[in-house]
Amino acid sequence: MIFLAFCLFFVNASGNTCSANTVKKEHATFTQHIETTHLSGVDLWIAVMYNGNRVLYAVVVTLVMAVLGTTLAFFTDLVLKALGMEVSRLSHRE
Amino acid sequence: MNLFNIYLPVAGIEFNVLLLVLIGFCVGVLGGFFGVGGGWMVTPALNIFGFHMAFAIGTPLANIFGQSIGAVRKHHRMGNIDWKLGLISIVTSVIGLEIGSRVILALEKAGDVGTIVRWCYIFLLSALGVYMMYDFYSSRPRQLKSAQEESDKSRAAGLSRGNKFSDRLHSINIPPMISFPASGIEGVSLWIILLVFLITGFLSGFMGVGGGFIIMPVLIYLIGLPTTIAVGTSLVTVLFTAAYGCFTYAMKGRVEIMAAFVMLIGASMGAQIGATAVKFVKGYGIRLLFAIMIIFAGFSVVAEQIYKSTAKPIYQTLAGIILMGTAMSLVVIILVRLVLDSRRERRLRL
Repeated sequence: MIFLAFCLFFVNASGNTCSANTVKKEHATFTQHIETTHLSGVDLWIAVMYNGNRVLYAVVVTLVMAVLGTTLAFFTDLVLKALGMEVSRLSHRE
Repeated sequence: MNLFNIYLPVAGIEFNVLLLVLIGFCVGVLGGFFGVGGGWMVTPALNIFGFHMAFAIGTPLANIFGQSIGAVRKHHRMGNIDWKLGLISIVTSVIGLEIGSRVILALEKAGDVGTIVRWCYIFLLSALGVYMMYDFYSSRPRQLKSAQEESDKSRAAGLSRGNKFSDRLHSINIPPMISFPASGIEGVSLWIILLVFLITGFLSGFMGVGGGFIIMPVLIYLIGLPTTIAVGTSLVTVLFTAAYGCFTYAMKGRVEIMAAFVMLIGASMGAQIGATAVKFVKGYGIRLLFAIMIIFAGFSVVAEQIYKSTAKPIYQTLAGIILMGTAMSLVVIILVRLVLDSRRERRLRL
């Protein structure tokens, strides 16, 4: 049942996204340079960094993933502990 | 404009935030629970939903790196990681991966290699899945018997392991011998360990996958690790390879940072939940769910292969439905088991 429910959702969602992408087909092609004229704020900052310094972009991506991953894991862990799902050392049974 | 759509500046498309969080959550739960990266699921999903293939390959690596940090920390706290074996596996797998990717490049010059890779993929997934299913059902009498023998020596050591393949490999006496106390392995030839990881690395490079789904069963069936330690140790390999992949793909401009950021919100939470669920699901239960997952992943590759041969888009959609449908169904099963078993444990404590 879960599988069937998902199939319906998937067909619907992929249909919507694909139709949206047909309109924006020119954006979906892979380019090494981002057009910045229509961008502002964070999007502009990312685009300028992506266009100008790819090493810096790679460092920022890696650091952001590491920091966000650790932070979110910490808070999720707190919530799970509060729900009584605390973990400790396991005895490795099969 | 849809209320939940955000603009992704690097990919140059609009995308639904909820869909990104959902994909991230699914891959996080499966990653934390099975010790795999999940790129096999996210890459086709993102591609089907409109990502260019270049971003659909690079972006999940950044996401997998972020989600694996917390999951590795949690598995470490549960004593599920054999660091010594993990580090050997990383170094050796990288060498095998490099050889595998060079073989692919050489074959590509000779002609279309995609079909060969997909058939290898189908064969490997089916063989692993069917064997794990067989192992699960044939070992049920053993499981019941071992439950009655709580005072048995091996149980006193806190580890229950061993199977036909690993026992045979452990009996090969080619020095130097190496032990892995964290996994309860007293002595195995270092050459065997290196050869096994070289082959898994080669397969990863040859098929262009992260390798978590190959390493996890290899750790169980060839090296002889208990399932939960195989999950944690496999995640260590996934963490390091994804960190490298994240950086190198971002350097090539193939990571959509905004999408990775949003997916990571779901993935980080999912990975913690998946890793916690390992505490409640028995080793053989993990193996059964893993077998189901890779058998369906094999079906989706079959659908993808038919699409490549016939060029009928329905088969590509079918491949996506099988992948995401299987992933979501497994996530629901894991969540239900987690909630029910944690409630039962709390009742027992009271």
